[in-house]
Amino acid sequence: MRCDAPLESQTRQRAAEVRGDAQASVAAPEGHWRLAWLVPGDAAPCSLLIDRRAFTACLLLLAALVAGSLAYLAMGSSALAPRAVLPALLGRGEMMAVFLVQELRLPRLVAAWLTGAAFGVAGCLMQTLARNRLATPGIIGIDNGATAFAVASVVGLGVTLAPPAMALAGAATAAAITFGLAAGGGTRGYRFIVAGIGVGAVFGAITQLLLAKVSIDTANAAYPWTVGTLNARPAGAVTLLAIGLAFGLAAALWLIRSLSLLRFSDAVATTLGIPVARRRWQVLVVSVLLTGLAVAVAGPVGLVGLIGPEIARSLSSPRGVPVIASALAGALVMVLADLAGRVLLAPIEIPVGIVTAVVGGPWLLWILLRPASRNLA
Amino acid sequence: MLAMQRLGFLPDRRLYRAMASLLVLLALVCLASLLLGAGDVGPARAWSVLMGRGDPEARFVLDSLRLPRTLVGLVVGVALGVAGALLQAVSRNPLAEPGLLGVSAGAAFAVALALVLGATATTLRVGVAQLGAMAGCLCVMGVARVSGAGNDPVRLVLAGAALTGLLLSLTSLLLLFDQRAADEIRFWIVGSLAGRQLEHLFALMPSLLVAAAIVLAVARPLAALSLGERVASGLGHRPDLIRVLVIVAVALLVGAATATAGPIAFVGLVVPFAARALAGPDIRRTLWLCLPLGPLMVITADIISRLLVAPSELPLGVLTALCGAPVLVAVVRARRMPTL
Repeated sequence: MRCDAPLESQTRQRAAEVRGDAQASVAAPEGHWRLAWLVPGDAAPCSLLIDRRAFTACLLLLAALVAGSLAYLAMGSSALAPRAVLPALLGRGEMMAVFLVQELRLPRLVAAWLTGAAFGVAGCLMQTLARNRLATPGIIGIDNGATAFAVASVVGLGVTLAPPAMALAGAATAAAITFGLAAGGGTRGYRFIVAGIGVGAVFGAITQLLLAKVSIDTANAAYPWTVGTLNARPAGAVTLLAIGLAFGLAAALWLIRSLSLLRFSDAVATTLGIPVARRRWQVLVVSVLLTGLAVAVAGPVGLVGLIGPEIARSLSSPRGVPVIASALAGALVMVLADLAGRVLLAPIEIPVGIVTAVVGGPWLLWILLRPASRNLA
Repeated sequence: MLAMQRLGFLPDRRLYRAMASLLVLLALVCLASLLLGAGDVGPARAWSVLMGRGDPEARFVLDSLRLPRTLVGLVVGVALGVAGALLQAVSRNPLAEPGLLGVSAGAAFAVALALVLGATATTLRVGVAQLGAMAGCLCVMGVARVSGAGNDPVRLVLAGAALTGLLLSLTSLLLLFDQRAADEIRFWIVGSLAGRQLEHLFALMPSLLVAAAIVLAVARPLAALSLGERVASGLGHRPDLIRVLVIVAVALLVGAATATAGPIAFVGLVVPFAARALAGPDIRRTLWLCLPLGPLMVITADIISRLLVAPSELPLGVLTALCGAPVLVAVVRARRMPTL
């Protein structure tokens, strides 16, 4: 009984620490910043932990993206002085420069941002879902499915749906087939991915089949969808992609806690209170949505979905799933790749899909072949 | 007879029966390939040409279009089927396929490079394609050895797919750069038998004969190698020499086929798969059955490619992919991946 008094005071003290004065007494975990603010009417402050390394990575990527975007606006077949870009963006300066920046390059830049970010987030989600860094939508055939359906709507198979809707349907179909085929063996391991490659090959063949059936003019109209380019963006698709990306990013951020736990085994995730099956569905739906909408704008540039998250992961901390950083890195890769495609062989324009394939191919090989393959799990 | 037995043509009724029925089928398909077409020379007119009558137009179509095409299909099918069987045996991997592993893409890239650098001659194209195929082969086999991916069939295929994607995009980059080369090989790069002439075949003959000699010499040691490297050594074979010879043969075959018909994937996967299902895992029997099965698949695909979207034509690779990808998925889905 005698020892009760000090114990009680200790307990009280700790409770006080937890309740109030949190800023002074609760230290942030190593490598994090802790933001705390008081909400009126609530005794305990709300607090937010920010991973320092992830935050720095996002800032870095954002800075690189801004720099890349300025270069994108300045460079091209008729180059502008870097100083002239900002005034032209605001509508001042020479007529020609304003037209060039506002009418020609800015819409394309926005499309590059959006598609890159969408591919990046979709790739990051899919990689986490399959616990395999090779399982990006481009590799497991979802891109090709979306392309086949979009081409089908362009060449007019009696279907009058707009390309974005068709691309979404195609992405969903391809994902359903790939995951359905993998259902027996689970989504783990390389077999799943090779099954996806098979599905992708079938859809690629269907695209060719569709293109072969129509006249050369229609085939030319559908050509952008087969290589991946930002040159011919369908009008409404960019707006749709912007809406879809806003939704997808929000959903991905909402899922982010579950995502970082989904990387563990099912048993661990379930024990930690994650409804695994439901979360898988949600992640898959978001990823397919983003892929389909992005393919409807730019065609199959799926390797961005591999490169973006890879950059993001190498910069960010290994603790979380770098959704935001993936979006930024994807946008950066897309902007730089399209810039390179426009500038390198000017006046010929290299489709952005070819640029990313040339850059991403060796990267993919390196991932596959490095001695100790560090998988996501 | 003894020589035949040494090459795996064992007195085996099952093999004989399969071989006979496949040959009959192949003859029928060749006949169909002569009779059917996208143009307006129908089966009846073509038949009368075959009977020795017929009008000059139909005779011209048969002699200078459909006959060369069928013969090219025969040669390409044999080359791709046998190359697939060899590659699968030597890498002991049921998914090893020249088109999937980047060997065909290597050949295509080499041809595109040669064209951009200014080459045009047919013979040069064959040699260049074979060099490219050789480079692709060495890449893949080197990769398999270095990283231990050879033990994991699926990883090897992934590496091959990555290599293929890289080489294909480099090829299209080259073609973007050079309009003349692009025009010259636009119809070749998608894979097709259309418009090939008999001269193309004659240019292939020397290398195909060399490849055939290698295959005959290497069939028995290869069967021993499938029992493991030590067993093969114990039986007096030299595994490294066998590997080198097989890779040379594969490069010759795939290079020849690609130079003629363009890069065609999945034939080397489907044909040995079917041959193994018919005759069991012995590589010698597989090779025998690949001889009729390869052309059977290629010529059938070619006939369909002519008829499906008549009067225009489909790339051959489209049909082989439609038929081959399900086989790929089936092999991958098998609970226990069969290692060879």
